[in-house]
Amino acid sequence: MSSDLFFIDRFGRYFVWAIFAISVDLMWGYGGMLTFGHAAFFGSGGYLVAVFTTRSGWFLPIPLWPALLLALCVIAIFSFFVASLVFRGRLPLRGVEFAVITLAIAYLLEQYARAGGDVTGGQNGILFRDNLKMFGLDLHRGRGFYALTGVSLFVIYLISRLFVKSRSGLITRGIRDNEDRIELLGYNVPILKVGLFVMVSVFAGFAGSLFYIHDGIVSPSAVGVTASTQVLLWVALGGRGTLIGPIVGTIILQHLTATLSGTLLDTWLLIIGVLLIAVVMVFPSGVLGYLVRGSSK
Amino acid sequence: MTVLLEAFEVEKSFGGFTAVNKVSFQLKVGEITGLVGSNGAGKTTLLNSLYGKTSIDHGAIFLNGVDVATMPAFQRVRLGLGMVFQITSVFNELSVTENLRLGALAKSKEQRPSSEVEIISMLKTIGLESRENDIASTLSHGEKQWLEIGMVLLAKPQILLLDEPTSGMTKAEAIKTSDLCKQLLSSGAVKSIVVVEHNIDFIRRVSEKVLVMHRGSIIASGTIEEVQKDQLVRDSFLGRMI
Repeated sequence: MSSDLFFIDRFGRYFVWAIFAISVDLMWGYGGMLTFGHAAFFGSGGYLVAVFTTRSGWFLPIPLWPALLLALCVIAIFSFFVASLVFRGRLPLRGVEFAVITLAIAYLLEQYARAGGDVTGGQNGILFRDNLKMFGLDLHRGRGFYALTGVSLFVIYLISRLFVKSRSGLITRGIRDNEDRIELLGYNVPILKVGLFVMVSVFAGFAGSLFYIHDGIVSPSAVGVTASTQVLLWVALGGRGTLIGPIVGTIILQHLTATLSGTLLDTWLLIIGVLLIAVVMVFPSGVLGYLVRGSSK
Repeated sequence: MTVLLEAFEVEKSFGGFTAVNKVSFQLKVGEITGLVGSNGAGKTTLLNSLYGKTSIDHGAIFLNGVDVATMPAFQRVRLGLGMVFQITSVFNELSVTENLRLGALAKSKEQRPSSEVEIISMLKTIGLESRENDIASTLSHGEKQWLEIGMVLLAKPQILLLDEPTSGMTKAEAIKTSDLCKQLLSSGAVKSIVVVEHNIDFIRRVSEKVLVMHRGSIIASGTIEEVQKDQLVRDSFLGRMI
């Protein structure tokens, strides 16, 4: 691949991560529910597509695009089950308790992926056989992947923007501010939270599917805690509760990481770390969060 | 007069302490009921039991004839209860209009189309029309209290429960709040109001009927003049307030 195509390809990856960041922003920035385990759904997208396209038996393997759709359905069902337990139980979880549960889910899935034997490929993960193609067009590398992910990011952003402007979006922001009051206005808070959780999990799963199909391999760290906390940094840097902030934060931070790690081999992590601390101290609500809200206060 | 809410032998204990002891009463259309008593008398526990924050151990609570004792709070609200807290409970990060919109959008689907008109009208009623785009956190305590009342009213409750509404208010704000309560009832915006209050002047100004609680039980009910004559009421509560 030429350097130009490599660069374009890299931006395609940023776009996928940005979809992941939007899903976390909806949950954390708009819903006020901090999740430490959202990569459980991002990575599951990759794993499920890999299993559906490479494993044999019963109705498997199936072609890539149906596999992707089926993966999203499975994620929707799984996230509905998790959210129903967490939000609709006798003692619904909030705040730190919710964050710890999400952390535990990511940890458990990562351990299962490592120990899952033939199904998950254990430590080595699963190699994909199929490339991203549609109507004969190569969407797997370079411009094709860039276009696919760019359009996907635009559509997810648009859906998310429509959501936050809708009645459900206003109620979601109300839950973030004062959950008890929302309930005492007559809203069924658990149902709303379950719906939000399913939506953001499907978004994350979709992003994860594209990312790992493009990578050609999915391994246990995909569903783990590290990937889950990394996305929080992108959202925090860009500005949670803004939708556009997490996109900008993701692209800047990932591009900076990619550029610096190639030139400053020993010190790039230190530079990124110091930069992050400085940004969080100067702009606690993120760079775009400051521009949108902070400067007007 | 039509009974909107009936509490029947409601009991609630925390460990060995009985906070509410076989309390029974009725709320009727057109009444502003004052619920008074000294600290620890069980007023707030009773109020919490009515709207569903606290589950009751025994007894029943009927709202428009439906037993709501085991229902979650949001279902009781949908059946006609509206709750305003002592510590204001608005959405601090949202604008005044967005706060009201959350109240208006809580109504049934058929009632929602008229929401925006009602929000504008409510802004005038609560005196916040000049602050419609301000973030709620920038309002004064009294303004937040009115905003909360406005928000709850837009959800169209039949019964409004007010927990110490004048707490932290200036005398002028308290008078405005009592006028607002009377206006809400006379205009038909709500059918009945319950006020839990320590401010006996405020109770005198708004309530025709008073329930006096002492050690978890209702020890007297009637007009303020009637309950004032009761020796136990004078000893346990009013004697200290007059």
